[in-house]
Amino acid sequence: MTALVEAGPDAAVRPALPGGPAGPRRGSLRDRFPGLALPALVWYAVFMIGPVVAMFVIAFLSWPGMLETPEPTGLGNFARVFADETFWAAVANSAIQIVVGLPVMIVLAFLLAFYVVQKPRGHRVLRYLLFIPALISAPATAMVFYAMLNPDGLVNGVLRPLGSEGTAWLADPGTALGAIIAVELWSGIGYSAVLIASRLDGVDVEIVQAARIDGAGDWRLAWRMYWPIARDFIGVVAMLQFLSMLFNSAQSVLLLTQGGPGTSTTTLAYLIYQKAFVEADLGYSQAVGVILFVIGLLGMGTIHRLLRATH
Amino acid sequence: MAQRIAALPLRDRIGSITSGTLAWIYAALLLVPFYYFIVSSFKTNEQIFESPLALPATWDLSNFATAIQQAELGLAVANSALTTVAALVLTLLLALPASFALARATGRAGKIVESVFALGFLIPSFAALFPTFLLAAALGLFHTRTFVVFLLPATALPLSIVILTSFMRTIPRELEEAASMDGASSLQVLRQVYLPICIPGIATVLLLNFLSFWNAYLYPLILIGPDTAQRTIQVALPTLKVDAGTDYGVLMAGTLFTLLPVYLVYTVLQRQMQRALLSGAVKG
Repeated sequence: MTALVEAGPDAAVRPALPGGPAGPRRGSLRDRFPGLALPALVWYAVFMIGPVVAMFVIAFLSWPGMLETPEPTGLGNFARVFADETFWAAVANSAIQIVVGLPVMIVLAFLLAFYVVQKPRGHRVLRYLLFIPALISAPATAMVFYAMLNPDGLVNGVLRPLGSEGTAWLADPGTALGAIIAVELWSGIGYSAVLIASRLDGVDVEIVQAARIDGAGDWRLAWRMYWPIARDFIGVVAMLQFLSMLFNSAQSVLLLTQGGPGTSTTTLAYLIYQKAFVEADLGYSQAVGVILFVIGLLGMGTIHRLLRATH
Repeated sequence: MAQRIAALPLRDRIGSITSGTLAWIYAALLLVPFYYFIVSSFKTNEQIFESPLALPATWDLSNFATAIQQAELGLAVANSALTTVAALVLTLLLALPASFALARATGRAGKIVESVFALGFLIPSFAALFPTFLLAAALGLFHTRTFVVFLLPATALPLSIVILTSFMRTIPRELEEAASMDGASSLQVLRQVYLPICIPGIATVLLLNFLSFWNAYLYPLILIGPDTAQRTIQVALPTLKVDAGTDYGVLMAGTLFTLLPVYLVYTVLQRQMQRALLSGAVKG
């Protein structure tokens, strides 16, 4: 999945790739038709495109369990989905996760990247550290946070001397979703910052020095110079993290809260998982899959519009 | 530094202070969990609860022994290694010829195939987890590592092909034409001319996919299942968490154990790894 998501920028930056440097020219059939690409294409069609097509088909089937025979139901699943309170709770949770989590992640990642690019003392150490979350698997991250957020864990251990009584962060409906978002911020900010820094590194040093001589301070440099220059690229990083939050949240939710308490951490991605593999309501699950697919496209479009290049 | 900052307007002074402070606060937030879980893996529950940040009284490895034995982590590491290596080999076998063909293709077909892969990121593969599970069952490969070995390369193909194709485009056509004139076949050209030049690109693809295959969780969880003889390390680790009475020391020891291979690779190949992680997004 990471790999899939990471393909995003390339596609976004370069939707149509140029043919050959020499342009169209006469060649043998072998040259014109990329036959050696066929095995990869077939492989990809069977294992990736096939299941997604099947998802769209199953979304229109009534299939109340693995052992039942699926029957066409038209829009029946969607009607059930839209009438279901749990679905709307999941929409709300995913919306909070993205509307709150994504801007915070991107702004903090940008400020971090800006700081690192100025090469302050210790910037090498910082760069090394920023990569850490990108290396750790979802289960390992979840286990560390599980240990820190349990009632006897590190967070309460630090807060107790300050006079707070223990909170069960993951089991309290008021804090569980926040905890999930915190985990995603923890792992997402570093990698986003590293990506953004790689673009900011390309900003011409002389322009920056000239601006400094003109009296521009850090705050103004960051938002008036670096942000506009890197804006479209930051958009690409935002899309990457948007898709990862939307789809991959299923993993941290499954590992930390199983959607609970109640439905307070049920995100759309987790709902798909839960309906398919816990409740075996397969038509419902795949209908939500289709909805999530559409939301993904709409969200990408919105981010592209908000952060497209202005120059 | 201090003098320069003092001369700046207040807003800029706040700006530079905040971005620096933020950076180091975040660095601390990255490190504290690490410190906490490393020291915890040498402690008992009581010690963890009472003094979470204290160094362990003894560097006792018994938590590691318990974790490895309880979740059969040794076997799980072997399964993960097997799955990862097999999937990496398969990815290269599929992606290298494909990228080679796409880099040389001049017709419309090549462009279409290339954009199919480039748009691959739009596919919500997690949402299609259930149909993938049906596919595994239909192939008679449900609850086997084999199916995951088949599936993981498919998830990695778009990015691998995009990276390798852009690498191969940089190779001048004259080199290839000279080889063809000597009567070399396509595959020979690929092996003898393209591969040696593409080594850095191949390394990038390998490292990137190593991370994503080794760390894969939901696919192995659903498709390989809980069978201890087959399950991967990522699936085995969370079984150390029990609803009532988790032994946190053991859980953290297990977590540390699963992270070791990745950190080993990161420490040895730090530069290459960083470049690989960057190229995932930066290549365009």
